[in-house]
Amino acid sequence: MGGFFSSIFSSLFGTREMRILILGLDGAGKTTILYRLQVGEVVTTIPTIGFNVETVTYKNLKFQVWDLGGQTSIRPYWRCYYSNTDAVIYVVDSCDRDRIGISKSELVAMLEEEELRKAILVVFANKQDMEQAMTPSEMANSLGLPALKDRKWQIFKTSATKGTGLDEAMEWLVETLKSRQ
Amino acid sequence: MFAKLKKKIAEETAVAQRPGGATRIPRSVSKESVASMGADSGDDFASDGSSSREDLSSQLLRRNEQIRKLEARLSDYAEQVRNHQKIKEKLEIALEKHQDSSMRKFHEQNETFQANRAKMAEGLALTLARKDQEWSEKVDQLEKENRFLTAQLQEIKNQSLNLFQKRDEMDELEGFQQQELSKVKHLLLRKEETLGKMEQELEARTRELSHTQEELMISNQMSSDLSRKLEELQRHYSTLEEQRDRVTTSKTGAESKMPALEQKGQELQPFIQQLSIELQKVTAETQEKEKLIHLQKVASLEKRLEQNLLGEERVQELLKEKTVAEQNLEDTRQQLLEARSTQAIAIGILETRVKELEQTLQASEERLKQSSEVMASQEAQIQALSRVNEEGRCAQQQALTVQQQCTERVHVLEAQIAALEREQEADRTAMEHKMRELEQENTALKESRNECERSLQLHQLELKKLKEEWSQREIVSVAMAQALEEVRKQREEFQQQAANLTAVIDEKEQNLQEKTEVVLRKEQEILQLKKGHDSALLQIHQLQSELGVLRSVRAEVPGAAAVPADLWRLPGHEQGLALSAREPHVTLKAREDPMYQLSAAEGTPNGEVGTMDPGQLQKEKQDLEQQLIEKNKIIKQMQQRMLELRKTLQKELKIRPDNELFEVREKPGPEMPNLAPSVTNNTDLTDAREINFEYLKHVVLKFMSCRESEAFHLIKAVSVLLNFSQEEENMLKETLEYKMSWFGSRPAPKGSIRPSISTPRIPWS
Repeated sequence: MGGFFSSIFSSLFGTREMRILILGLDGAGKTTILYRLQVGEVVTTIPTIGFNVETVTYKNLKFQVWDLGGQTSIRPYWRCYYSNTDAVIYVVDSCDRDRIGISKSELVAMLEEEELRKAILVVFANKQDMEQAMTPSEMANSLGLPALKDRKWQIFKTSATKGTGLDEAMEWLVETLKSRQ
Repeated sequence: MFAKLKKKIAEETAVAQRPGGATRIPRSVSKESVASMGADSGDDFASDGSSSREDLSSQLLRRNEQIRKLEARLSDYAEQVRNHQKIKEKLEIALEKHQDSSMRKFHEQNETFQANRAKMAEGLALTLARKDQEWSEKVDQLEKENRFLTAQLQEIKNQSLNLFQKRDEMDELEGFQQQELSKVKHLLLRKEETLGKMEQELEARTRELSHTQEELMISNQMSSDLSRKLEELQRHYSTLEEQRDRVTTSKTGAESKMPALEQKGQELQPFIQQLSIELQKVTAETQEKEKLIHLQKVASLEKRLEQNLLGEERVQELLKEKTVAEQNLEDTRQQLLEARSTQAIAIGILETRVKELEQTLQASEERLKQSSEVMASQEAQIQALSRVNEEGRCAQQQALTVQQQCTERVHVLEAQIAALEREQEADRTAMEHKMRELEQENTALKESRNECERSLQLHQLELKKLKEEWSQREIVSVAMAQALEEVRKQREEFQQQAANLTAVIDEKEQNLQEKTEVVLRKEQEILQLKKGHDSALLQIHQLQSELGVLRSVRAEVPGAAAVPADLWRLPGHEQGLALSAREPHVTLKAREDPMYQLSAAEGTPNGEVGTMDPGQLQKEKQDLEQQLIEKNKIIKQMQQRMLELRKTLQKELKIRPDNELFEVREKPGPEMPNLAPSVTNNTDLTDAREINFEYLKHVVLKFMSCRESEAFHLIKAVSVLLNFSQEEENMLKETLEYKMSWFGSRPAPKGSIRPSISTPRIPWS
């Protein structure tokens, strides 16, 4: 009965919005990716103190995408947003080899959270348009992704400014979210 | 050029100074000697003052020694004078030489200068003239080119105007073309419409035709049916006629039988009458007999009744007799009945025969009637048939006419169709023709358009080329103008150089004048030196006189005390003289004695340095100290900044310690121990607070402005940032849920929940 009503409800009001978090260190390109996904343009961004939230529709799926500021002092507040999250887009600056360790520790700490146990992980190896950018495999190894268990994850090489790789990543995310339902 | 001149001048000055330099050494020696003497005399005087006057002999000895010394000094002086004279002569000679040489050199230099100047002026003038010519030529060329380019530009403009006109025309043509095309299309469409109509008509006609053909077929069938019917009817008619013939024959037969039958009837009637009479006789006999029988019976019965009264035998005999009598009666009755029946039968037979005859008559009459009826009916039928036949004929005729009409109509229709087809074909051909024409026109127009476009492109290309050329020319002209400007600048520079050269020449002339003045001064100096020499001679004389006096004093001891004072006064006097000479014209003195000047020059600045330095140094020192203090301050600031940066770096490296705020993350990771505890927190508090305040502001702003579904996710962040208690957080959640849901009751505001000010925590550390 409840299922019936919910099906009616969903047919009336469309499917539930998927909740996605975009996380990563400061300057990785999270806000640029968010607005690239939403409006398809490169916008000039300032360091996000706080967060940005936008509704993105992709392949008839509605996403409520939260782009949380990645500065060191506000990184602890990430965990306030973890509940009811369907997927996490973890953005890493491919050229920032110095802080890949910090990025890894943040990622590991995040994935240990109980609230994110079922969340899908998509890693964006961003800024691939730059020279000396790390390859996705290199990045996956330095982030310790192959060691992850009980987690659906995938890494994509992206360039938010050029707009490459985002479609493939979103495609994979949509398919994975659909298959999970 | 100037460098050479400068070098020359420098060499000359060096040459001029060299003879003076040669005189330095003896002079300095003499001075030293004088100074030493003075010092010695001072010492002597001091010792003299202190010593007792009793040792006059020793003093005398000393005086003698002094006198000897003075004599030696005098001889020295004489030598010096001689030297002075020699030097003077030398100086004069050198001066003369120098003068001559300088004069010569000056002349030469002047000449060379003038020559150079003239040459340079000429060269410059020539070059300037040449350059002017060149530049005027170039300017002319440029102007020509400019004119040419302007003409070209005008041409291009005209061409572009033409092009624009052409383009406009093209556009117009295209418009016309499109209009025509649209017209033609319209016509085509209309033709097609008419064609469609015609085709529709044609179809309608063909349909009609088929319809009429069908009708024709139907009518043919009808006519065939009718003919068949006619044939049947004719056959029927023939059969009916046969029947009629038969009926007429039977009628005639029946009519012929009729009189015979009447005759028989007439014959039979008397017979019937006889028979009826006989019948009446028979009936009368039977009645008599019955009466007799009845009487016999009654008599026998009376007898038997009388006998019955006598005995039964008699009764029985009587009964027997009665039965016998009855039997006799019955027999007679039977005989009678038989007779009667035979009679009746005969009558019946006769009657039946009559009846038969009558029946046959009636039948024959009926048959006659029937035949006549049949005849009539047949006649009617025949008539009807004939009518039908006629009708059939009419129908056939109608059918024929209809057929003819149909065929006519078919012909007409076919003709119409043919005409229509022909028309259609003609239309089509016309259309095709028109189409072809239009297409040709179109192609022609397109070609023209293409040509126009090509020409346009060519024109545009030309225009571009011309523009490029123009720009190049412009660039060239600009470059030329620049070059011109440069040349002008060069010219100006040359002019400036010329002016400079003239100025230099003027300076040189001034220098020359100055030199001549200097020479004059030197002459004056020489004169003065001569005077000095005279004075020195005078001094010598004085000294000699003093010597004489001293010698006299030597004789008289007590007067000896004044001599050293005089001797002491002597250099002072000399100095005073020099000073007095220096005061009115310093330059002259300086020229007179370069050594002196040098010493003076050395003396005064050094003295100045000596006097000025402490103040300046103190000032400088203070400045430096201030600078040092400032630098120290800056260094301190930098160190503070360094510390801050280091702290932030450490914080960056140690995110974990900061996260201890949440109390949940207490599980120490493997990397935790090697990270230093959060010592830096206290110092870094303000910065973190600022960022956190900004963060709080942003989150609260978003929380208040965004949708409820988004705000719901922000509750936790807000409550963490503002240190909400669990109840407050829950209240917030309930309120938001109420707002989001369509039904449900508003949660009762709990008075118990107060802002948690009473439990102060460290916010945003």
